[in-house]
Amino acid sequence: MTPMGDKGAHINVLLVEDDPGDVRLTREAFRDADISIRLHVASDGVEAMAFLKDQGEHALALRPDLILLDLNLPRMNGREVLASIKEDALLKTIPTVILTTSKAEADILNSYELRANSYLSKPVLLEDFYILIESVNDFWLTKAQLPQQRPNQ
Amino acid sequence: MRHDLVPGSARPSEEEQGRESAAKYRGLLEGAPDAMVVVDQSGGIVLLNLQAERQFGYHRDELVGQQVKNIIPEGFAERLIADDLRSDEDALAQQIGTGIELTGQRKDGSQFPIEIMLSPLESADGILVTAAIRDISVRKAAERHLTQMVAELNRSNEELGQFAYMASHDLQEPLRMVASYTQLLSRRYTGKLDSDADEFIAFAVDGASRMQLLIQDLLAYSRVGTKGEDPVATSSELALQQAVDDLGGAIEEAGAVVTDDPLPTVIADKIQLVQLFQNLVGNAIKYQASGTPRVHVSAAEDPSTKRWRFTVEDNGLGIEPQYFERIIGMFQRLHKRDEFAGTGIGLAVCKKIVERHGGHISVASRLGHRSSFYFDLAGRRVEA
Repeated sequence: MTPMGDKGAHINVLLVEDDPGDVRLTREAFRDADISIRLHVASDGVEAMAFLKDQGEHALALRPDLILLDLNLPRMNGREVLASIKEDALLKTIPTVILTTSKAEADILNSYELRANSYLSKPVLLEDFYILIESVNDFWLTKAQLPQQRPNQ
Repeated sequence: MRHDLVPGSARPSEEEQGRESAAKYRGLLEGAPDAMVVVDQSGGIVLLNLQAERQFGYHRDELVGQQVKNIIPEGFAERLIADDLRSDEDALAQQIGTGIELTGQRKDGSQFPIEIMLSPLESADGILVTAAIRDISVRKAAERHLTQMVAELNRSNEELGQFAYMASHDLQEPLRMVASYTQLLSRRYTGKLDSDADEFIAFAVDGASRMQLLIQDLLAYSRVGTKGEDPVATSSELALQQAVDDLGGAIEEAGAVVTDDPLPTVIADKIQLVQLFQNLVGNAIKYQASGTPRVHVSAAEDPSTKRWRFTVEDNGLGIEPQYFERIIGMFQRLHKRDEFAGTGIGLAVCKKIVERHGGHISVASRLGHRSSFYFDLAGRRVEA
């Protein structure tokens, strides 16, 4: 783990994903893209909300720069997590990107209706998955200007 | 037992003649295979044969003079009354040769399906109606059985389609893990272990990749049946254009030239039509020896059926005639894997798409010179 002291220099990504295989793949792909990214993992929706709400209560705690959210999760699914994030005054400005195997039109439409920042489907080939994570890093964590301040309550 | 055709109707001067024709007519009635009932215009039963007695469970004395409603509760007597409003001859003539399905009622009250045929009979008392009545219980039961079987078959087919779809869909996830991690092994450890390890990993990567293609093609195949849209007026020109755009990489790589004649508007599911062109043009480019692959798409209207017959012709390897039928089937391949990769599902998808549109797909070829694939689609409907 990276020492806590220099956390300001790191980019933090929250990955909400229940499949350990996918978690590891995403970790590997981010490692390839940018070694300084810290990937935090929540393995279901309840854990994800606990992580995010915890950040809300402790003003000094870590706030992810990006949330990667799977749709099919145990206990509280991705749609519910997405809705909760986007209804929360503190959390709604965090870019939340859906990363799922589903290519169903209904899932895509519903996610954007719930104000997902973008919708990505997991490619079948490893090579393509690496390219996808690289472009997520390039766009959301490098090129896009994100608010540095938390919104006022 | 009565013997008069029409009781008390024969005038003395015609008595002899009437008796003779009545006897003839009775003979005809009794010789008929069906139950026969003769009815007058007010719905009264005038005469019946032995088969009618048996079928309805009455003795004929119990029926003669009674209303036909007693044995055919609905649909018969009403017809006679309604027909009274028009000229008798016209009304009856209209009914000749038409079988009407009604319900018969036996003496014990039980009912059974019947088919009746009506024909007019001139008599001294005016026009009578002869009804040939056939018990169609067996036919009706068979029809019901058939309807049930068809419904059952449709349901089980649909279930099977859903099953195939779900199975291939759910297989994708664990397979993506297998494929991803063998690819990750290859990416990270190729050249770092020993030559055996490199070979083993390469086989694992290849097997997983092929299975992914197979499952993708199976999904595409099962989607034709389960995820299709209703066919609507669709430009086949635009569909081909989109297929060619989608094949862009493969066309460029092969240096292929795809041309077409002006193509018509047809009644089709656009996504499936694009897929059809994509598979056929894709095959045409793929199965080539050397030189520039040329693919030409054309269409001609069949004036008798008003359907468009499309031709996708290439200058490729061609196919031996004995394989024409076989290659369109599922999993049929003519080449070794190291010659041409493929799952053998592409043409099965084409066949399923074309057949879903009420068409037929076929192939003609000259080995070593060309192959032509033909399929037909309905043209734009003229009437709304």
